[in-house]
Amino acid sequence: MCIITILIYDSVFQSMNKSVNLTSPTALVLTGFTFLCLFISGCGGGSGSNTPVVITDPDPQPELDHSGLTPIETDVIESSEYLAGGDVTTFKTDDGAFETTPSIIDDDFTDASLFVQGDHLFRTAHDDSGPLMNSSTCQSCHINDGRGEIPTDITEAFESTLVKIADSLGNEDPIYGDQIQTFGKQTTDTSFRNANLPVFGGSINGDELFGEAYTYVEYEEVSGSYPDSTTYSLRKPVYKTKDMSFGDFVDGVQFSVRMAPSVFGTGLLNAIPEDNILALVDEHDADSDGISGKASMVTHAITGETILGRFAYKAQTPSVLQQSAGAYRGDIGLTNSLFVEESCTDAQIACQTVAEQEGQMGEEYDVSIRELALVEFYTRVLGVPARRGYNTTTQTWDTEISQGRALFFEANCIGCHTPRHVTGEAAGSLLGEIPLIGDPDEAAEPIEALSNQTIYPYTDLLLHDMGGSCEVTRETDEGLSCSEGEECMYVQRCEGLADGLIQGLATGTEWKTPALWGIGLVQTVNADSTFLHDGRARTIEEAILWHGGEAQTSKDNYMQLDSTERAQLLAFLASL
Amino acid sequence: MNKTSISIALVLALSLTACIDDGEDGQQGADGAAGADGTDGVSVYVTRDDVVTSNANIAYAAYADSLISAQSMRDVLATFVAEPTESNFTAAKQAWLDSREPYGQTEVYRFRVGPIDALTTDEAGEYVLGEEGDGPEGRINAWPLGEALIDYVADTVDGDEGDGLSGSNIIADTTTYPIIDAATISDLFEYEGEEANVTTGYHAIEFLLWGQDLNADLTGTGTRDATAGQRTVSDFTNVSGECTSGSDIVADEICTRRGDYLLAAADVLIDDLTTVVEAWEPVTGFHYANFVAGGDTSLALIFEGMGRLSYGELAGERINIALTTDSQEDEHSCFSDNTHRDIFLNAKGVQNSFNASYTRIDGEVVEGASPYDLLVVEGEPELANNLRAALEATMAAATVIDTKAETGTPFDNLIQEGIAQENVVAVIQALDTQTGYIEDSIDALGITTNDLYQDTEEEF
Repeated sequence: MCIITILIYDSVFQSMNKSVNLTSPTALVLTGFTFLCLFISGCGGGSGSNTPVVITDPDPQPELDHSGLTPIETDVIESSEYLAGGDVTTFKTDDGAFETTPSIIDDDFTDASLFVQGDHLFRTAHDDSGPLMNSSTCQSCHINDGRGEIPTDITEAFESTLVKIADSLGNEDPIYGDQIQTFGKQTTDTSFRNANLPVFGGSINGDELFGEAYTYVEYEEVSGSYPDSTTYSLRKPVYKTKDMSFGDFVDGVQFSVRMAPSVFGTGLLNAIPEDNILALVDEHDADSDGISGKASMVTHAITGETILGRFAYKAQTPSVLQQSAGAYRGDIGLTNSLFVEESCTDAQIACQTVAEQEGQMGEEYDVSIRELALVEFYTRVLGVPARRGYNTTTQTWDTEISQGRALFFEANCIGCHTPRHVTGEAAGSLLGEIPLIGDPDEAAEPIEALSNQTIYPYTDLLLHDMGGSCEVTRETDEGLSCSEGEECMYVQRCEGLADGLIQGLATGTEWKTPALWGIGLVQTVNADSTFLHDGRARTIEEAILWHGGEAQTSKDNYMQLDSTERAQLLAFLASL
Repeated sequence: MNKTSISIALVLALSLTACIDDGEDGQQGADGAAGADGTDGVSVYVTRDDVVTSNANIAYAAYADSLISAQSMRDVLATFVAEPTESNFTAAKQAWLDSREPYGQTEVYRFRVGPIDALTTDEAGEYVLGEEGDGPEGRINAWPLGEALIDYVADTVDGDEGDGLSGSNIIADTTTYPIIDAATISDLFEYEGEEANVTTGYHAIEFLLWGQDLNADLTGTGTRDATAGQRTVSDFTNVSGECTSGSDIVADEICTRRGDYLLAAADVLIDDLTTVVEAWEPVTGFHYANFVAGGDTSLALIFEGMGRLSYGELAGERINIALTTDSQEDEHSCFSDNTHRDIFLNAKGVQNSFNASYTRIDGEVVEGASPYDLLVVEGEPELANNLRAALEATMAAATVIDTKAETGTPFDNLIQEGIAQENVVAVIQALDTQTGYIEDSIDALGITTNDLYQDTEEEF
């Protein structure tokens, strides 16, 4: 008992990575434990000696993990794991769980005000959206700040899911760009509500703008069974793209359907020191565990440096700022100081014509620097839900959850889903400090709430080969092969998780390990949402079963568990 | 705390000294010895609990006024729906404007986990305070409205748009919503989990009475003019064949349904306000009792509400965002062009809280022990005076906005570049200053607003 307590003390002490403030509740509790231990020890034995117990470290130089901490243990859960987001942990468990102000932000009138203003911009429509776009507000993709959804009816266009495209080498389509925008506004006075859906060939002659193309999904149920004969069924998607308004796509086009992910916690992920992530890289699997881990190195849109990509499904974006600015431009058609061009390629005359009318409104960018900085701040400090299943009074975890966690660790799911990280100093916005009025004009101070935190996102932010392959064919609705014309759709079928799309350093089978924090609340926040990059998995269990490639062994480990153990592992994931 | 206690002791000691009887009883008039100057000017003795109680009494008065004026509005709306004449239409709009006057002054009771933000029922069906966001505030006053969900709209106003059901709205869709009543519109509030789908509350009624704030030529493009929404009384007519949706003649039942919606929205508003009023009912209301007994926690909530409304909501979301985006859609009462009153009344509510004074709609003045008095008693007369002056400066700046609007330049014109933005900026700056003094007051009184509703975290 005493030894275990000391271990917890020791690891918590080290995880704090700073001097313990003796007036803090944590320190007081821990000090109490230590006294209790000493007291019990003093009473034990028969020697009559009152010499205090000297705690000797069996390993004077313990191996440290990528964060410089004592490696996380399978059986001992640090109490800090409950506060998954450190100081920006929040405690809502209803449909507002992902859009909650952390108290550390809320307690400061200035920060609270910036948060409220950013939130307002996040959920309301903006002047001058389009001409081409996927959605009208941040919130309409990130529903309740959580994940998007796939329409249940094929006649409903994707609004919170979009399709990335590229040729077989990863180059963008010379006409369509790198993304299919489903909606087109014919004039600057057209609302998103009345924007045009795609019409085959409708925008080729340049005088009328329609959305670029229409993608829908049909699922094939694929059944399988566990070694213990329990059966399951997975939805295998077939993606069909039709109504190409600007003509055919580039030869060898690949499609990648992406559901909008949750946005909370990204400020913390942004603040993990790059070296800590790079320490996890094992590109050629030198440790022979079947898991490589490749850094997605990308170009910073402001500084031009080559830095680690952390956001979006293939880690193609290095910062919350760049991700927000890119989404404004690419998904809503709002230019900003990072992405100054409207959402048209040079080849899209019908789009350029509308964009020119927009320019007459006078402002330099559709989204001002102040607005972008507010949305960046809001997104960065959005709170991470506290873990469920932890009793803060007794400081114990539900048995099912602690056992599920041990199984998750033993199955080596943590080979990619790295449980714990620490953040460094969270630099202030590159746009500058947001003043009371107007655009930022002074360098921004670091965001303390996000700095030097111990966090539990369960991701390594690296790229991994998840296996599978894709094939794109041209077919009619009846499944007949074709080569051109209105009836001739692009049909993509994939085995496994592959999307066939090369993005930056990521191949058509590689994906960034997504963070798992909050995964247990995804369908509480948006009951219609689903899992994985394209939302094909209806449940977390289905998402596990889709894993392949580098995750094959871990998935097999999971499948070998008996039904009780599988339920424990899922209970653990639901507690994240 | 120690410092404060010592200050009180000193003040008491000095006061006692000044009160020692000289035996002359002032009989020598002006020829007598001059008295010593008093210290710190303690004129009113109040305790922290007194301040909390007065704050609760004003909360009840302001919410009660809101409910009374909502019920009056409901009567006027019913008359208008039954007899949709021009004069009844004008009366209906005036009733809405009147109802906003007390409500605007209640908003200082937001952002403090009070009934408006957190009232809910427990498993036994008893009213309790849940979390921020559980309460009826959204149904009562959420904005921007999801107007495209409710009724016909122009394609855009200033290039802005609301989300909505594609190609349909509740009033026009007789198939999906054959009956429009309180249940219909309550169920559609935040439809499909989307917060933008606001279908109830003051602003739903406002939209149904004014319509979108288009220009006089009924377009939403071009230079913004000084007119408010242009809805005509024919949108509510009961003359067969003359019912309109803007410039289009539509089926008779659309006008009937619009009237149904108006009354349903008033009913939902009255129900929601009633729950808040009952929670604040002196002596018997569950929240009143808890709040009055809450000591320094309640005192902290008073200042928290003042600070958050001043800075985050008013200076931030309601003024600065509208200024930043120059967008009517980001204006609080965008259909009626009544945003100047929202700003004025919100700021007034903060001043009411500090002075513990509220003028009821019938003219009665409710007064009590104020945070101003408390700061003076607790040895912070300078701070008390600074905050008093800052609130006065804010009211002065808000009065300018108010006057401009009353004289032909509404808030949606003021936020436009090149017009009179400095008037708007002045309000923001004044609110910033007063928020600083509110923070200083929290520090001076040694009350914490930290972790007020996230107590689970305290274990760490």
